[in-house]
Amino acid sequence: MNILVVLRMIPDSAGELQLAEDGRGIDREWLDFQLNDFDDHALEEAILLKEASGAKVTVVAVGEGANRVLQMAAARGADEVVALQSEEDAMISSREIAASIAAMARAKSVDLVLCGVQSTEDVFGQLAPYVGALLDWPHVSGTNRIVANGAVLRVTQERGAGVAVTYELATPAVLGVQTASKAPRYVSGSKLREASKTPIGRATPELSGFELTAEIITLRLPVQGGSGENLGGNAETVADRLVTILAAKGLARN
Amino acid sequence: MKLIACTEGHSGKIEAFSLEMIAAARSLTQADDEVVAFFAGRDAEGASACLGAADRLIVARSTRSDVIPAETYALLLRDVIIAESPGLVLVPYSANGLDVAADIAARTGWPLISYVNEIKRLGENLTIVAQMYGGKILAECEVRLPAVLMINPGAFAAAAPAPIAPVNVQTIDAEPVLTSGKVKMVAIDMPDYADVDLTTADRIVCVGRGIGDEASIDLARNLATMLGAEIAGSRPVVDNGWLPKLRQVGKSGQKVKPKLYLALGVSGAPEHLEGMSQADLIIAVNTDPKAPIFNVAHYGATCDLFDLVANLSDRLRAGSGR
Repeated sequence: MNILVVLRMIPDSAGELQLAEDGRGIDREWLDFQLNDFDDHALEEAILLKEASGAKVTVVAVGEGANRVLQMAAARGADEVVALQSEEDAMISSREIAASIAAMARAKSVDLVLCGVQSTEDVFGQLAPYVGALLDWPHVSGTNRIVANGAVLRVTQERGAGVAVTYELATPAVLGVQTASKAPRYVSGSKLREASKTPIGRATPELSGFELTAEIITLRLPVQGGSGENLGGNAETVADRLVTILAAKGLARN
Repeated sequence: MKLIACTEGHSGKIEAFSLEMIAAARSLTQADDEVVAFFAGRDAEGASACLGAADRLIVARSTRSDVIPAETYALLLRDVIIAESPGLVLVPYSANGLDVAADIAARTGWPLISYVNEIKRLGENLTIVAQMYGGKILAECEVRLPAVLMINPGAFAAAAPAPIAPVNVQTIDAEPVLTSGKVKMVAIDMPDYADVDLTTADRIVCVGRGIGDEASIDLARNLATMLGAEIAGSRPVVDNGWLPKLRQVGKSGQKVKPKLYLALGVSGAPEHLEGMSQADLIIAVNTDPKAPIFNVAHYGATCDLFDLVANLSDRLRAGSGR
């Protein structure tokens, strides 16, 4: 089985985000870029499938720091790594890169495309269903378990509130991964150093194939709507206040 | 113009966000416009009894299955779109909607905007406010109709549940599409609440990414024990295997409404807020003062969560010894 995994590098939204001067993007100069969490799980699921059934895993990465994350993917067991060129300082629109991923899937005779179920930048839609629809391959997102038996996949999808649905589908297919069957593995420094010699392929983007009839006019920071009381930043005084608050509401004791 | 509001339900229950989709569509109607609700599944009667805020209801009825695979749902919806020629399709941000919205957008060639909080209609255009970067940024977008929108649950007040007149209900047979679909459902697993049922918990201590590592969860667990609370986690914590899935709060976890929700190191992505924002008392501790969790918290603190847990535990321990 040939598996193609898509890794997207996105701004670390745990930190503070500043708007760009033109108001149409975020200021990326001092931002940390990190691998989209869900894509990390997609990579892990691909490596687990490789270990279980001997699949070949090709990883394509897009965005700031793609080379670094591709070396990490090679250290984790990817067979081939490719950087998809992207516009610098621009958000990664899933709608825009879908055609490139579909073209790569065709060119490499891929049986299974794996990517994260979503990213924080896909305001114009999710990648897996776009790629699935472009290729006319079956697709399922929100997966947390994938088992391959030859060309038949058994896939479990989270539906929320603890409900899980298991589907069967034949390859070729596209899956959006919510959680890998096991947590993404740790990679040792020595493995990373060894993987740093892995040649990184280059791919050029395909035209999106979608007419652009939606656009971002401006970005803004949300008004902090919290009307709650700020207890401050000193742990001791905050603890004192909380004990008082919890006691007043009858919640301080077991 | 016709506006299609996509709805969902299973096990005899119509999802609450279905009525929000109808309300969102209704808020955009002009003279002679029509809101058409779309439902796929076995519970046609439940949909007819509940979705009367729409002008019409189209039910793609299955005789076998409560849960329709998203791809089948999208194919059924595409047939309805071809037949009805709507100007707008509203899809809920749900496990199903994540797949359906982009699939439909790709197959129709229409634009899609996801994570929508607000919509205004200006002739053949819509202006939209959508969330990006886990709710830390709002994007003001413009989209030309026809279009697909994926709407955040809670963004619109739900329409009142009401029966719909039988004359306004059209039923189509989903079985042929289900049978020929490439994705076959083989099992539904319902949650086993033998370990814990967070939905009935009075007090919850929830840890987020800020807890750092698995070992540190014990500190929060001890605090939870002192408070008579259940320990819970946000998605990254559960994804890392530090807590079991049944202890996850949020869109893909449990929706909870405790008397006390103490959030430690939880940033409050929209998916998390959807699961807990109805708690009676929300106390949030996060070193990032701009964390979205503070938008719903009744009390917030920006101190180090480990210092706070230590101090709070000391005080509670001392109090219990009196």
